[in-house]
Amino acid sequence: MERNIALIALFAALIAALGIIPAVMLPFGVPITAQSLGVMLCGTVLGARRGTLAVLLFMLLVCLGLPLLSGGKGGLGVIVGPTGGFFLAFPLAALVAGLITERWRAAPLALSAGVAAATGGVVLYIFGIIGMALVLDKTVAQATLLVTAFIPGDAIKAVIAGLATSALYRARPRAVLSRA
Amino acid sequence: MAQPLALSNVSLALEGRAILHGITLNGDQRRIGIVGRNGSGKSTLARVIAGLQAPDEGEVRLFGVDVAKDRKAAIRTVGILFQNPDHQIIFPTVDEEIAFGLTQLGQSKSEAAAGVRAILEEFGKAHWAGAAVHPLSQGQKQLLCLMAILAMRPRLIVLDEPLAGLDIPTRMQLMRYLDGVNAHLLHISHDPATLAGYDRVIWVAEGRIAGDGAARDVLAEFAADMERLGGMDDISDLAG
Amino acid sequence: MISLTSPVETWAHGWRAGAKLGALCIATMGLFALDSVAGQGAAFAVMLALYAAPGAVFFRSGIVRLRILWPFLLVILLWHLVTATPAQGAVIALRLVTAVGLANLVTMTTRLSDMIGVVRWLAAPLRRIGIQTRALELGIALVIRFTPMLAAKGAALSRAWRARSPRRPGWRIVLPFTLIAIDDAEHVAEALKARGGV
Repeated sequence: MERNIALIALFAALIAALGIIPAVMLPFGVPITAQSLGVMLCGTVLGARRGTLAVLLFMLLVCLGLPLLSGGKGGLGVIVGPTGGFFLAFPLAALVAGLITERWRAAPLALSAGVAAATGGVVLYIFGIIGMALVLDKTVAQATLLVTAFIPGDAIKAVIAGLATSALYRARPRAVLSRA
Repeated sequence: MAQPLALSNVSLALEGRAILHGITLNGDQRRIGIVGRNGSGKSTLARVIAGLQAPDEGEVRLFGVDVAKDRKAAIRTVGILFQNPDHQIIFPTVDEEIAFGLTQLGQSKSEAAAGVRAILEEFGKAHWAGAAVHPLSQGQKQLLCLMAILAMRPRLIVLDEPLAGLDIPTRMQLMRYLDGVNAHLLHISHDPATLAGYDRVIWVAEGRIAGDGAARDVLAEFAADMERLGGMDDISDLAG
Repeated sequence: MISLTSPVETWAHGWRAGAKLGALCIATMGLFALDSVAGQGAAFAVMLALYAAPGAVFFRSGIVRLRILWPFLLVILLWHLVTATPAQGAVIALRLVTAVGLANLVTMTTRLSDMIGVVRWLAAPLRRIGIQTRALELGIALVIRFTPMLAAKGAALSRAWRARSPRRPGWRIVLPFTLIAIDDAEHVAEALKARGGV
């Protein structure tokens, strides 16, 4: 119990901290913040249930008014803003990523966690695009056009999530609860 | 009265590596020191004595309480001060940190708040009430940890090298606070000077008791052995 | 940890947090139902007046927080100029700024402790049916405590990287960073257990 609470809270803090440290440079020089990577890692490392709880805890604190989103953003304005759909889909993305990592054990962890993170990313985009279409009053196709520039970065993040999860499993097998 | 410190034949392996080998230890001294090198098992021994880690074999009883099994009685009996205060402090403000242990003992919110005020005043730190933890210095954090534990009035406090890494004035100030503590102390250290005035010192090496007796004798033996090892090159030996 | 609550004390700081959140919900739904330029313009003006009422400092820090919306406003502007539907564009842009502005206003005038009070109030029915909400309160405290610490350790990690590399920290830093979080979690679990657990 203590360990569950501590891991959930520390991964919520990890998502926040990944938004605070300066943008990580990806291969090909794409600068992105690692925050959504943190959301994926919650799912692939902690598993569906605990991962989702960690993300929900993080979101609760953002809504309470703490500047934990990348760039020091936070508060209730995040939900009604154009990127609110992405924000609201965070727990669902972690849930999907967690379920896939937990269930698909035949593949090497790097592959199943990578696919899990990519699928979580697709969920994120579906809701993010719908949210953007609603707030900006555009069709889904038009909203999709607005976010295509970010898709390569998120695809790379999914690969990183896969590799990081399997490396974590080698370093701290006990902490990778999705495979415990 | 039950013995304050009673370990009988305690053994423990972690991740397949044996750390403690059949340690038996009894004591009623108010100030007991434990010395040993890094990796000698003394920190694991501290966790076992505090009841945080149940031994594979044997039993730990403090004042008659089986600290690994009866956690409810254990937190009234033993407190532990970790080496790194950031590993110990759970809450973002001084009050919450101290109040947590008190509510864990079953006190109401207002009783706990009174307890927080009392301990802060006892240490002349009434102005710390409501302060955030993050900007505190390492020494201040360590003092907060000590106050949080003392507020719970345990009968024995395990100190797992809380003075390591502090500068000399801070260390001396904390030592003074520790010397004034009423509870029994079990102080783990690799620094003989810290334990010089203690009633009894136990030397742990490779998970076994290598020496036990008056502080002066054991510390002299320990220091001589450390000098001898310092001339060798066992730093190159890998574990396992 | 610093929250987004404004240090400028306004009359709204004293209002009940639950009432403010309820009013925000209704106002936001109203904004999305409203389709006239004049209506959205009026709502926008009311929002600006609310920001201006507590004084210049409050107004300026509120407007700074709305600046993150400019890329989206630019897209809307260009889009509706190209499609020659300026009225529709104005409704969308005004609604976006007003909705985000009002939500930020609640955040800026509500203390963290009051917000946590609302969470506790919302969780009360759960307690009545026997669900432990203590873990939730503990979780909130732990995140507030450990986010600045993790961020500081992350900064130390990237310093250690740059001390031995001419380039900025790459993605590989994510792994040791996550390991720090996991190891901290193990220590916290131990600290919780040392004082009686959950």
